[in-house]
Amino acid sequence: MKKYKIFIFSLLIIFSLNLSAKDYKASLFGVKSDGTTLNTGSIQYAIDYISENGGGRLVFYVGRYLTGSFYLKPNVTVQLEEGAVLVGFHSVYDYFEVNGTKALILADTVENIGITGKGVIEGNGHAVLKSIEEQIGKGYLDAGQLPAKPALINFNACSNVTLDEIILRDACGDVQVYSRCKKVKINNITVESTSLPDSKGIVISGCNGFTLSDSYFETSGTELSSNNTSKDVSVSGAVNSKGKKIKAAK
Amino acid sequence: MKRLGFNQKEKTRTMNKIKLLFTAIVMLLVIHVSAKDYYVSDFGAKADGITVNTRTIQGAIDYISEHGGGRLVFGPGNYVTGSIYVKSDVTLHLEYGATILGSTNPFDYVKDPKVKWMSMIFAINQENIGITGKGTINGRGFITANNMMNYIHRGVYKDPLKLDRPNETNRPENIYFRECTNVRITDITLRDPASWNQTYDQCKNLYVDGIYVDSKSYWNNDGIDIVDCDGVILKNSYFDAADDVLCFKSHDANSICQNVVVENCVGRSSANGLKFGTVSRGGFRNFKIKNITIFDTFRSAITFAAVDGGIIENIEVDSVRSINTGNVIFLRIGDRWSKGKKPSMKNITISNVYAEVPIGKPDVGYNYEGPIEDNPRNISPASIVGLPEYRIQDVKLKNIEIVYPGAGNPLYAYRGTSPAELDSIPEMREKYPEFSQWKELPAWGFYVRHADGVEFENVKLVAEKKDYRPSIVIDDVKGATFDNVEFVEPESKGKEQIIQNKSTNVVIK
Repeated sequence: MKKYKIFIFSLLIIFSLNLSAKDYKASLFGVKSDGTTLNTGSIQYAIDYISENGGGRLVFYVGRYLTGSFYLKPNVTVQLEEGAVLVGFHSVYDYFEVNGTKALILADTVENIGITGKGVIEGNGHAVLKSIEEQIGKGYLDAGQLPAKPALINFNACSNVTLDEIILRDACGDVQVYSRCKKVKINNITVESTSLPDSKGIVISGCNGFTLSDSYFETSGTELSSNNTSKDVSVSGAVNSKGKKIKAAK
Repeated sequence: MKRLGFNQKEKTRTMNKIKLLFTAIVMLLVIHVSAKDYYVSDFGAKADGITVNTRTIQGAIDYISEHGGGRLVFGPGNYVTGSIYVKSDVTLHLEYGATILGSTNPFDYVKDPKVKWMSMIFAINQENIGITGKGTINGRGFITANNMMNYIHRGVYKDPLKLDRPNETNRPENIYFRECTNVRITDITLRDPASWNQTYDQCKNLYVDGIYVDSKSYWNNDGIDIVDCDGVILKNSYFDAADDVLCFKSHDANSICQNVVVENCVGRSSANGLKFGTVSRGGFRNFKIKNITIFDTFRSAITFAAVDGGIIENIEVDSVRSINTGNVIFLRIGDRWSKGKKPSMKNITISNVYAEVPIGKPDVGYNYEGPIEDNPRNISPASIVGLPEYRIQDVKLKNIEIVYPGAGNPLYAYRGTSPAELDSIPEMREKYPEFSQWKELPAWGFYVRHADGVEFENVKLVAEKKDYRPSIVIDDVKGATFDNVEFVEPESKGKEQIIQNKSTNVVIK
């Protein structure tokens, strides 16, 4: 019996070692925390590198990290330590889109991805909107672009998605968009996006397995918008600023 | 009569109005036809020398290309960018005072999947494109290359660090255009790339005029690389480069670099001045090169290398000043990466050359000086060296004066002229071609081997000090004419200045 226990225990250790993916400090890839260096290229290179080398966490410590759109890749988690702020760059040209929706953090058909930690993702919504409006005004952007304001997060056809603890602020468009994703777990996050109108907290469609728990929402649009296309949606312990329990709105 | 006169006046006036209207319409049409200008600042690009504008510039290029084309104008200021792709019908126009600065972050650059190289400004498969204006493109390559080195040492970027430097393909060039048609590069200044400088690869109708190049911030910084292009005009330009300056290459065994005019160019190099190769798979054909000056150059003013199976034919070089260069003319057939293809070189004319070769190192004091190698050797001669089965054919040298230091000392390095000694000079078929590769050669002026049909006409070879070697050695040459060839060397009375070995049909007039 004892031997059996030891065996199980050591198996567990091996298993957990295997699971605990490697941590990479952002500075290893030259990412700068000064709030003025545009880090898009370095962050994307770091994510690609981590994904190609067995996965792990890209860890941001205290500081402001300016970036345009980047894509999460398989088995990569962005870990924002307390005091770390990912700041969205103001120019509309620095945002890419997946499925017609621009976002600061994109993921398309990948698995085992996450954004965790007590840090902040700051959308810089006003500045981005100003850039969009200016470019439409000059005729360089189609006016049809206006509704496609960048979200903070847009994941398409991803599975095993984890969001934990993070603070999401001031999106230009919606805060989070999940389409056709499987096993999305969002826990203990804070969403504050009120500076621009109709910024929805979460928009889900076609998802299978979506859990939102213990989170706080203060948004100008619906907190959680779900059409009937998603299955196995569970919401618990999520409230808005007025203390109202959040349910998936149709 | 009076009325009639009035009417006539009115008629004339109306006619004038119509003319004016017509002119205005024509002018409007002309303005409409001449492509539109767009300021990059209007797209939100910041000229603050800090903001990385890559995606904004790309957005602007895409917009202009999709809306009828035009010039993307950079007003005075410093615009930082990573990799951008120029698209059809777009010209980047840099006004005087505008500088495009390469980002110093290597991860702001794309290694293009087709050309497998990094660059700041790419264009792949586009037409009617250009970079114009009196502004500057500054790659800041020294910093970028060293930053890359840092990432390689940290283990986050894979590179074997051969010769303790990142591979050329893992450092950004300033410009890399591939398979583009109608390309204009005019007036700009190009500085400090991290790799080669500007590559035009398999382009048609390339026009380069009035550019200024300062390219010696890191290893392999070239002046210009024109690879397998058809229809090239390169003129009125100045180059100062660590590596080869006016460099023509042929990367593709099924392509050829052809129909090229080079005029009024000045170059300085810690490698070669005018160079064909080293990569020479397809070859080089129909070149007219006129009025070039090469100075303070470590290797040869002119190097034509057919070492990878390519051809070199119908090449005219006219009016060359070569001042303080380590070597003047180096023509070489080798058998390096030929893979069964037969290299050839024929119909080469080089005329109206004045050259001075120094006793010291010609590029001393420049960044990334050329390597001291192939020693011991006395001053190397100009050389024309084929292989026994791949012979250099029909070379004409006319109106040439080369001033050498002489002073070859047999105690320092010695190569005699007996048949046995000449035969012992290795072929070095597969070696990287350089004028110095044989170390000591047996002549101070010209060494010619494995060639058919070599004409020297009005050639003056000067050695400023007595040299133990003869001026010219020809070995395995079928057909050579020396017409009015003059030798000037102290204490050389009665010295035989032309030595022949295994050569036939040699005429000395």
